[in-house]
Amino acid sequence: MLFNTKTTLLGTTVLAMTLAAAPVAAERILRADEVAVGEIDPAKATDYADTVLAINLYDTLVYPKQGGSGVQPHLATEWAIDGATYTFTLRDDVTFNSGNPLTAADVAYSFERMMAMGQGNSNLFAGVVDSVEATGDNTVVFTLTEPFAPFLASLVRMPVVDMAVVKANEVDGDWASTWMSQNSAGSGQYVITSHDPQTETVMAYEADYFMEPVEGYPETVRYRYGLEPSTVRALMSRGEHDISSQWLPPEVFAGLAEEGATLVTEAGLSGEYFKMNTQRAPLDDVHCRRALAYAFDYATMAQLTQINDEVSSGRPMNGAIPQGLLGYDAIVPNFSQDMALAQEELAKCAYDPAEHLLDVAFIAETPARERGALMMQAIYSTMGFNVEITRTPWALLTEQVTAPPTAPHVVEIAVSAASPDTDSLLYAMYHSSQPASWIASSYFKNPELDALLDQARIETDQDARQDIYAQANAILAQEVPDIFAYELLGAFAVREGVTFHNLADPALTYPNSGFNMRFADISVPEAE
Amino acid sequence: MKRAAYILLSNPLSVIGLLLVGTVFFCALFADFIAPYPDHAGAVMNFAFANKPPSAEYLLGTDVVGRDILTRIIYAYQVALGMGLVVLLIAPPIGVAFGLIAGYIGGWTDFILMRISDIFLSIPPLVLALAIMGLLEPTLLNAMLAITAMWWPWYARLVYNITRGEKVEGYVLAAEVIGASKAHIMFREILPNCVPAIVTKMTLDFGFVILIASSLSFLGLGVQAPTADLGSMVSEGTRYLPDSWWMTIFPGLAIVVAVFGFNLVGDVLRDVLEPD
Amino acid sequence: MSIFRRLLGRLGASLIVLIGVSMLIFFIARIIPGDPARIALGPRATDAQVEQMREALNLNEPIVVQYGLFMGDLVRGDLGISLYSNRPVMTDLVEYLPATLELVLLAGFMMVMIGLPLGAISARYRGRWPDNLVRVISLLAVSAPAFVWAVGLVLVFAYFTPLFPITGRISDTLEVERLTGFMLIDTLAAGRLDAFASALHHLILPAFALALSGIGQAARLTRSNMIATYEQPAIEMAQAYGFSEARIARRYAFKPSLIPSLTIIGLDFAALLGNAFLVEVIFAWPGLSRYGVGVILQKDLNAIVGTVLIISATFLIANIIVDFLVSVLNPRIRFSEDNK
Repeated sequence: MLFNTKTTLLGTTVLAMTLAAAPVAAERILRADEVAVGEIDPAKATDYADTVLAINLYDTLVYPKQGGSGVQPHLATEWAIDGATYTFTLRDDVTFNSGNPLTAADVAYSFERMMAMGQGNSNLFAGVVDSVEATGDNTVVFTLTEPFAPFLASLVRMPVVDMAVVKANEVDGDWASTWMSQNSAGSGQYVITSHDPQTETVMAYEADYFMEPVEGYPETVRYRYGLEPSTVRALMSRGEHDISSQWLPPEVFAGLAEEGATLVTEAGLSGEYFKMNTQRAPLDDVHCRRALAYAFDYATMAQLTQINDEVSSGRPMNGAIPQGLLGYDAIVPNFSQDMALAQEELAKCAYDPAEHLLDVAFIAETPARERGALMMQAIYSTMGFNVEITRTPWALLTEQVTAPPTAPHVVEIAVSAASPDTDSLLYAMYHSSQPASWIASSYFKNPELDALLDQARIETDQDARQDIYAQANAILAQEVPDIFAYELLGAFAVREGVTFHNLADPALTYPNSGFNMRFADISVPEAE
Repeated sequence: MKRAAYILLSNPLSVIGLLLVGTVFFCALFADFIAPYPDHAGAVMNFAFANKPPSAEYLLGTDVVGRDILTRIIYAYQVALGMGLVVLLIAPPIGVAFGLIAGYIGGWTDFILMRISDIFLSIPPLVLALAIMGLLEPTLLNAMLAITAMWWPWYARLVYNITRGEKVEGYVLAAEVIGASKAHIMFREILPNCVPAIVTKMTLDFGFVILIASSLSFLGLGVQAPTADLGSMVSEGTRYLPDSWWMTIFPGLAIVVAVFGFNLVGDVLRDVLEPD
Repeated sequence: MSIFRRLLGRLGASLIVLIGVSMLIFFIARIIPGDPARIALGPRATDAQVEQMREALNLNEPIVVQYGLFMGDLVRGDLGISLYSNRPVMTDLVEYLPATLELVLLAGFMMVMIGLPLGAISARYRGRWPDNLVRVISLLAVSAPAFVWAVGLVLVFAYFTPLFPITGRISDTLEVERLTGFMLIDTLAAGRLDAFASALHHLILPAFALALSGIGQAARLTRSNMIATYEQPAIEMAQAYGFSEARIARRYAFKPSLIPSLTIIGLDFAALLGNAFLVEVIFAWPGLSRYGVGVILQKDLNAIVGTVLIISATFLIANIIVDFLVSVLNPRIRFSEDNK
């Protein structure tokens, strides 16, 4: 469905045009979906759908490294780092969808715009950058306030916008914020045809792009929002949908696979954490936390993430850091259920479990998580805890967790690293300076850990950073602010005949969540 | 009263209605004794038996964590009836007071009170309840509050119209002449004449309160898990359509049974109590 | 003249009521604890960013001042930015209202076209089997929540026997420029019958799911109104003259009972607008009601206020229109008291 609001202004000419309209002869079309409302202004991007839109409509200086970790060149062909000064050399063959060439001035402007709007991923750079300067058409210099090792990786979250187009659509100094939520002004491989934040975004392939598409790339993409799992299921079996979102319940994935869909998974540097409120009795006592972590039934949890015999939406987790990030340590043991150890720790805990109600919350919008909560209740009750489960709508939960003394004891949440740098995950979750929010909902305060995390921000030597994060990981495994339930693998059902290359081959996979869904890297069959 | 009972029992439709309502009440009251797996009403996991279609063991099948759906329906009736009772204990008195005072005193009081009720009435009821629920936390208590907020103006309207008619009747004028207090006239003289209409409306409304409450929880704005609730069960079940149809169909039918029962009884009761 | 005056009076009264609605919903929205700015900015926002947003949204002002600012903006057609869609609320309302209206109007049409005849049949055969059948069916229709109907219809007509589409307003392969936002009108305006058929095909299932309880309600009301008219002298006279039963039913019983039925159907518009919230969610219908559910779940205050206001305004306007129609149909009402 194309339902374009932009052209209504044209009045009578529209009438004349529509009379001539005919069915679109789109040969290859890709239809995918996400649960959340899509935001196309890259400066406001926060979630999965926003990431997917941003990488297809816009480009960034660097991109997560294909088949590896860290970053690779993208708009920037090379860069030089001198302490707190980063000098990037840009490709000279990139044009925006408008036809304007992409220059260093656009990069500087995009950064300025993002920081001035103060939304989306701007917090990755808050207080970090002192100045950005275009010193030539293809050279841009970022001067940081002090050395900041995660900076380069953070740039995967800084899409470059077309300065001329944005300025032309600015109203009352709004950085064209209204216009940009409805249109794209990027250099991406796709360009917006129509956008309705609660229904779908329709995008068309842009031939004049600096990277080659795969054979059978889609010419039109319909990225749909808010479809129920049963709707996706039915649409796919009718051949009216190509790639599902990753949020379907396991049963639905299994059903789709039985009907011929391929299941692929995206590791995406994500963990499934049961965040424990370390500011509230009895979980302010590390022994009580350890007791819960040892008693947790990791095997059943693994079973619950199993979609069918071959595919699972989770894998065992070693400590707080998922595979692919600096500091990941296979030596840190996977936790496994050990009731004897759990009882031992419980005996050391200063609190009597019977006197404390354990308040376990799961997000209403992800009902499959009720299973994890129920499992906790079953086990922890046998240890004498009085467990109460609540299903809390997301909007309410984000509020509750801002008040640590009354926030739930345990919240199950998936967290993905925003950039390919460990800092974007650990600092946000565990540094004591972080505001109380769902990401930091264990409210962990540990000076030793803080020092390590701060040190890792300044240290630029990769090996040294690896050591620092490994130490941090060890502390976290000891102090268990969270139960590290499993590494989340986002599963996608792919219709027969469609190939999601980046996820089908590990060598082609990008490490960060969402960055694999480059539409031009997906092969779709010709429409019947 | 006897006549009403006789008519209710001699009309086949209302007998069916009474039977349905009776069953629902019976389920709610004796849930602990008749439910096959009483512990399944709450937070219980039984993964080995998850997603099972109806069978002799689980008559209406099981849900995604392996809980017996029949058991959860039986317990959900407790929530539904509790909701109906509370709303119909709170909303009518508020509405009746509004209607009596506005209708009898008249003038500015009438104007202001009835405009307030107009404001509530001009928001489609479900929309008002949804908006209130969206702004409050989704708990059972707040759901009752939201539904009460949408319900009382209808009683205000009903009583207001009757009061306007009654206030010029002889018995009211007579009471005024002998100097009875306004409160006495409103609540002792006029109110009794409103009772049949109020009772009929309450019976009919009982089913609709259940219906609205289930609509709220269908949208995730009512009773929260793990409490068994019909609307939430349907909403959760729809995720697994069409494969696990029993998770949706049976709770849906359970709502229809309850509401249909109350409506059948209310319908006949209206013919008896309010012969136009 | 009197019709015009009456209409003006109704419009004025409705405007006052709407202002009341705006106060009610605005104050409820603002006294609730919680921080909409934090929700809007997402989890990684710093306190400074939240404060900046609160400032921008006037959330730090006293509530009366906030209401004043809100009304000032409202008069200029500005309802603020939706935190849900990141667009002006007004843009969203304008974009999504037509889809909902189209659904609700078609449902209303079905309600009249199916409900009234059913009621008439019921009254005509009062006490006999057609009456009992219609009564049970219509009571059943009223007794099931709209979402149960919608889920049931989807299951039967979209999953098990795929006769109808599951979601969307028109086939993916068709492009129609938006003129009014009403698909049925836009496709016709474009002279595209294939597109019109597709749009209608997409509309039928959700509209029917929405209409069902209204159909039951309309049938029940028509029945009791007609039975009341059957007992009036005109009919007894006609019966005495030996007119055929069918003619009596059509001419003398159905027509007069149409007016009270229409009035009630106007009020039932409220139920349709409310139930649209359930039906649109199930069909992923891109209308205002689905938007309403989204903004409510996300505590998007500006958008909640805007949605409730526009739905109430729609409801009030619908009633004024019905009222007007009725007074045109029946001149006697023009001179009667306004109080129902």
